[in-house]
Amino acid sequence: MIPFIVALPLLLALLTALMNAFDVGSRVRRLLFMAGVLSPWPVFLLNVEYMPVSTIVGGWQRISGIEVVLNDYNYYFILGELIVFSLVGLYALGYYNEREKSGGVAVKYILPLILLLHGGILGALVSSDLFNFYVYMEIASLSSIILVSCSPERGAKRAAYRYLMLYLLSSFFFVFAIGILYAKTGYLNLYLIRENLVMSVEVQAAVAIAMASLLVKAGIFPLHFWLPEAHAKADSPVSALLSGVVVKVPMYGAILFLVYLPMEFMADALLVVAFASMFFGIYMAVLQDNAKKLLAYHTVSQMGFVLLGVAALDIDAAIFYAFAHTLFKSGLFLGVGALARSHHTQHLSELSYRDNKILMVAVILLSLAIGGIAPFIGAFCKYQLLGCLTGFQIYLFYLAGVGTLVSFIKLNYKLSRPGKKAAAPSRLEKVATMALALLTLVFGVYFYPRLKYLDGILILTAVAVFVALRYLDVFSRDAPLLFPADGFGREINLYTGVFVLINVLFLVQLFY
Amino acid sequence: MLESLTGGYITGGTVGITLVLIGLYGLMTKTDLVKQVIAINVISTGVVLYFTNLGYVEGGEAPLISSTVMVDPLPATLMLTTLVIDVAITSFALALIMRIEEDAS
Repeated sequence: MIPFIVALPLLLALLTALMNAFDVGSRVRRLLFMAGVLSPWPVFLLNVEYMPVSTIVGGWQRISGIEVVLNDYNYYFILGELIVFSLVGLYALGYYNEREKSGGVAVKYILPLILLLHGGILGALVSSDLFNFYVYMEIASLSSIILVSCSPERGAKRAAYRYLMLYLLSSFFFVFAIGILYAKTGYLNLYLIRENLVMSVEVQAAVAIAMASLLVKAGIFPLHFWLPEAHAKADSPVSALLSGVVVKVPMYGAILFLVYLPMEFMADALLVVAFASMFFGIYMAVLQDNAKKLLAYHTVSQMGFVLLGVAALDIDAAIFYAFAHTLFKSGLFLGVGALARSHHTQHLSELSYRDNKILMVAVILLSLAIGGIAPFIGAFCKYQLLGCLTGFQIYLFYLAGVGTLVSFIKLNYKLSRPGKKAAAPSRLEKVATMALALLTLVFGVYFYPRLKYLDGILILTAVAVFVALRYLDVFSRDAPLLFPADGFGREINLYTGVFVLINVLFLVQLFY
Repeated sequence: MLESLTGGYITGGTVGITLVLIGLYGLMTKTDLVKQVIAINVISTGVVLYFTNLGYVEGGEAPLISSTVMVDPLPATLMLTTLVIDVAITSFALALIMRIEEDAS
């Protein structure tokens, strides 16, 4: 049954694309699109009862077939994926309906790509076979790169090109690592790899290279270069999918490696990278005055939190943080994106949610959720992560939490001031954003129904820091630019160099 | 065959890894976007060669029912998928470069 969770969206993607050849009304197209978005739900719900389930596609034996699974490791990833895709699908109908009036790439080309992305992500999340995982991740990433390049924003093409090159480079390294594992164990099925694994330097080298390439795809500092531009320039529903779901797929890959292969030798290196990513993301986000770029840099920072769970070898913490981030980050992108579309700008000082009470409430709720305030879902994940940290790491963790809150206080402060007059966002946009905001609260109460006085102290500290920074005029500074606009080719050179360097650093870990 | 000719020092695997390194050199030094796409293609060829070589068995034949010593067909099949992805991505990258140039002028 599980293969249908992938097959249905892919089939409907094909049908939706075929409809472009016929002269059908936009109503039929939208209907097919929503059917494709919602089609995995029944398959998922029918299988959840029997969890953990595993099927070999085509009824082959495990050693010769491709295994797909639904178990504790991917349950929350798939649940988050389905929730976000359903709501973003609704939002996209409203968003593109409004945008169609102002021109740009025709919506009829965008909807099938979103379905292709849906199928690709689900395929990667259910697969228990390394090569299958790689192929589906490739489908998902290629459709997201094309979606980025479809955006009418200035510079979207360049963002797509940068995304494409780094993605390809890391993919080839990932395949190379799979090759080493295949040579050493003779299998691609993760379960069989674990059964047949004999520890050796080659296996560790393969894990190190694979992790480095997964970090590129997950947008972790210092391999994040492609992420902020791509996530900020894409259309808002696409941004929500990229930041909410697409970067979680490589993280799921990292969790698979953690479950099935030895990773202990890399834990220290990953811990350093995770903390670096958390703080770098916050630092850049605080200096941004482009609303969507601010959120994109927070993705760099928050993926550091997820990686922290992986580095601390705590699978649950990583899974729940990824799930939480899926919900609140896509919600934030939807909310801010609706404001940006109706104001025709992404500039923070011109945006305002004053005239729009629903979006205002939603953005405030989501900001509390990402700040890790109880009883939102962020708090539950925060305390889970704290449970696996020791010593000064705990203080660093709280510092990163306060940093996130400061950045979101800034966002809400700027949005709460009166901005330009603008048209009202469509009803679908408001409903989808509000639904995600409420879901962060519902899941938070479900997981962790407690209030913590510590959160109050954190908020007060964050407000104090915000006022101090504002007094020091930090927010009016420009974010540092690495390259002038004409040095585009050299950017890729540098990023390749950094990627190679990180690979070498990870490989050096083997000899400690 | 390469292995037996060179006394076991140069195998398909080492040639593949060398190609990857050449591609990386190109990607780190060339600023022209088309050359970068070519460099990525060199890397992909290297990876494909390395991976296909994994299935090689000394004296092996094509894996048909009648043969006794067979090469492992799986790596070659997998690389077929990678090659297909490659072709699609290369054409997309070149189209993207054209649009970037159009935007710039």
